[in-house]
Amino acid sequence: MISPATIVETKELVQTVVFATVAGIGVTAIFSVAIWGAARYTDLSQEERRLEAGFAAAAAAVALLAVLAAVVIGVIVMTSK
Amino acid sequence: MESDLIVVIVVATALAFDFTNGFHDTANVVATSISTRAMAPRVAVGYAAILNFAGAFLSLAVAATIANDVVDPAAVSLLAVFGGLVGAITWNLITWYFGLPSSSSHALIGGIVGATLVANGADAVFFEKGVVGKVMIPALVAPTLAFLVAGTSILVLYRIVARLRPSPVSRGFRAGQIVSGGLLALAHGTNDAQKTMGVITLALIANGSLGAGADPPTWVIASSALAIALGTYSGGWRIIKTTGTRIIKMDAAQGFTSQGAGAAVILASTHFGFPLSTTHVINGGVMGAGAAKRLSAVRWGVAGNIIVAWVLTLPAAALIGAAAYGFISIFGGGAVGPVVVTVLALAAIVGAFLRRAARGAPIPVQSEGGVQA
Repeated sequence: MISPATIVETKELVQTVVFATVAGIGVTAIFSVAIWGAARYTDLSQEERRLEAGFAAAAAAVALLAVLAAVVIGVIVMTSK
Repeated sequence: MESDLIVVIVVATALAFDFTNGFHDTANVVATSISTRAMAPRVAVGYAAILNFAGAFLSLAVAATIANDVVDPAAVSLLAVFGGLVGAITWNLITWYFGLPSSSSHALIGGIVGATLVANGADAVFFEKGVVGKVMIPALVAPTLAFLVAGTSILVLYRIVARLRPSPVSRGFRAGQIVSGGLLALAHGTNDAQKTMGVITLALIANGSLGAGADPPTWVIASSALAIALGTYSGGWRIIKTTGTRIIKMDAAQGFTSQGAGAAVILASTHFGFPLSTTHVINGGVMGAGAAKRLSAVRWGVAGNIIVAWVLTLPAAALIGAAAYGFISIFGGGAVGPVVVTVLALAAIVGAFLRRAARGAPIPVQSEGGVQA
């Protein structure tokens, strides 16, 4: 009797599930924060709430950079094996 | 000399398969970007073709799986590889002709396994670790994973942007789709082109041109990349013609999450060498993004079709691959069999195209039916 664990490359399959879940949900969430920051910056600037607008813009910029970093790291990981 | 002629026929057949793979899958890759108006159709198709080409150079893990882990490269014969390719192409044409859902990737693997079984015996096929462990189980896990990742992502996304005005949100996600759509095209190129690289490498090993366990030579990588990119570009013109009538409507956020989930699953799987049906994964992402917003928005019949295709394609392509090898071997072990089959296949393809054209064009965007507007 062959156990399923010996057939399936469990470690690789679990890593695939973890990486895809973290990357898929993580990048979407961070990009949503970037959009939230950009939209709030526009609204708050129109209301002349400069400090809060600055925080929203900073959040948008950091989130956007994080998304770009995630994409670059993903491609580097892909090409490293 | 004669075996070199067979290698040339196998390489040409494999590249033709790669071209049709790109041609057939363009819809999956670009339809979401087009339907949300993130990109103009012509731009989306050109962009996808370029990134398909680039993606083919990213990794060799899937090619190594096809060349070394599904069948024994030291035992498999060149004619078995050719028989497998014929089986895969025949199955793809049958499913295309009758409009049945199918996976080119599963057809390719099924064809190779069936032909090898008949040609070289059961010992030459790695059933447990290769066929089940590296193909069948990941083929089931990956679309389910894309469904769950896209579904969870869209719920998280809606919570974050819930109180914002819709217009900047929509603009933002349309811009994001330029990246997510590009990643999906890159992912598609890397997983699908590597299957062709793997088959050509397997043929070169069977011919003695390469040692067992060898990586694909550069010319194999470049020609596979070019074939899938040209196929994607050619297939795109059909999509452009049908834009707005047959492609489903989603909002930009759903488009972004479905593409992001699909790309994440395909890229992660590719990194670990799992050959997937990219069509099934992209469909899983589209359905997940739709189901999380509104369960009734999903055409659940598509999910049923994926399961049917998953169950049916591998054994059917294996049977046809076995039959193809049987037919080829009637002509002996030389190049006569492959030459006869190639001539017959070309005649059959031309005939099928003419008959299909006479009956009207098939629905070109089949898999985007995952979600309705």
